[in-house]
Amino acid sequence: MVEQQDIKALALRNKMKIEDLNVYYGAFHAMKHANLDVPDRHVMALIGPSGCGKSTFLRALNRMHDLTPGARVTGNVSLDGNDIYAAGIDPVTVRHRIGMVFQRPNPFPKTIFENVVYGPRIHGENNGKRLAEICEKSLRAAALWDEAKDRLHKSALDMSGGQQQRLCIARVLAVNPEVILMDEPASALDPIATSKIEDLIGELKRDYTVIIVTHSMQQAARISDFTTFFLLGDLIEVGTTSDIFTRPTDKRTEDYITGRYG
Amino acid sequence: MARAMVVAPPAQAPGFTSQRARARRITDKLATAVLWTAASTVVALLLLFIGYLFVQGWSAISWHFLTANPESANAGGGIGPEIFNSFYVLILTLLFTLPIAVLAGVYLQEYAGIGRFRDIVEFSAESLATVPSIVMGLFGLIVFVSLFHWHFSAIGGALTLTLLNLPALMRVTQEALAGVPATYREASMGLGATKWQTVLRAILPSAIGPLTTGVVLVSGRIFGETAALIFTAGASVSYGASAYDFNPFHTAETLAVHLYSTQREALVPDATQIANGSALVLLVMVLVFNVTARVVGSQLTKRFTGKAS
Repeated sequence: MVEQQDIKALALRNKMKIEDLNVYYGAFHAMKHANLDVPDRHVMALIGPSGCGKSTFLRALNRMHDLTPGARVTGNVSLDGNDIYAAGIDPVTVRHRIGMVFQRPNPFPKTIFENVVYGPRIHGENNGKRLAEICEKSLRAAALWDEAKDRLHKSALDMSGGQQQRLCIARVLAVNPEVILMDEPASALDPIATSKIEDLIGELKRDYTVIIVTHSMQQAARISDFTTFFLLGDLIEVGTTSDIFTRPTDKRTEDYITGRYG
Repeated sequence: MARAMVVAPPAQAPGFTSQRARARRITDKLATAVLWTAASTVVALLLLFIGYLFVQGWSAISWHFLTANPESANAGGGIGPEIFNSFYVLILTLLFTLPIAVLAGVYLQEYAGIGRFRDIVEFSAESLATVPSIVMGLFGLIVFVSLFHWHFSAIGGALTLTLLNLPALMRVTQEALAGVPATYREASMGLGATKWQTVLRAILPSAIGPLTTGVVLVSGRIFGETAALIFTAGASVSYGASAYDFNPFHTAETLAVHLYSTQREALVPDATQIANGSALVLLVMVLVFNVTARVVGSQLTKRFTGKAS
């Protein structure tokens, strides 16, 4: 855990702190005793081979496992010092503050406008003018406004996959979260759409803390400030992205980086 | 294994023209032909059936027949009130059945998870679904007609049909919801929606097409139901001020029951003709239900999801 010390030396404010996190699917221990500090307004990449637990880890950060029958989470996950798993905490408010973008673009079968304002609406915003403002602001922030402004009231399902994924990001931005979790958001997209998403993530970290699972090490290297490596349900090490890719401290990380694991 | 085959083909490699290849090709063609015939038989039977009813019943159909009151002793009676009653009982039935069926279906599919209570509800629904409609009719006779002293009534018939069709409509709801991609649920919950908001705003709108299709199809069955209604809604039209009677506590013979009772016990000299005409009208109505189910279902899906399906 030498690298973690290096991050501390940067004296960054922590947005999230994960302590002794365990996730079980029935009897299967999918994430074991993970600890991680997530700095505010930076991009944290989670990497590792398939089945290493990186998505499992990510979904524990906004209590998405609550929706999975048979999944159980122990340990502490805190946002600005408050444990999101504490008794009396409503998972609905947690997911309001910690948004999530999924692997496959999953817009609702509604218009572009209705997709973006879905969150504000469920949180009680009914003023049409206000909703229109939120819609424009969110689409601009997701770099989709120019492509979407003339078809706001057309179905979101007629957009390309890359546009749909940026729409999903706009939809998350519309509820004004503090942290955005992304689960391989570009894995279903072509290279051009992927690079647009990557540029967007670079923009987002000015205002948001981004935690992104990616199966592409090149992507992690391009877009993240910090990288965490997982293997077989263990969090192996964390460091600045350049350190992890140039001089990892753990042999297993090095093996993965140099391509000795699939 | 596959690689070994490539390296060392069997001594008698099946060529393109070998005896065995030809035999297999013929078998394959034969199988296709048999399967096609079986599938076509379904269509042929339907066409035969419709054709027969048209030939038999067409001469009975007239505006007078479709709107006039039935006669009890003379020729020339119509089926107007029966058509009205069929729709009236159907609407009453849906009024009772839909809320329970949809809410129960939503609960089972979205809330119950896997567990004992869900098993009990599903087992109950399946058991209810296997009760023969004549038995349900006798139950309605005992409870609604005798015990409640409602005599033969539209509401008694509708409640009996509710018992009969509740399982099917619950199943329709469950299947419509099961067809909604899990990603919509995740997306909605991920944006901080509660479960109820997710059901109301993301899931039900996406399921509205298949749900409507299912409801209309079940409606077709309700429309044609006979055995459960003979002893509950009755086999005669209302003796109130008009035979077109909205009072749910009055007797309400439906078209399907009329077909049965005309053939069985009517004194009118043209009973056979009336039965043939009624059968044709009933069949056409049910076919209309089936076609409507498809058209309306896909229109709603398009409207609510912006997607052609």
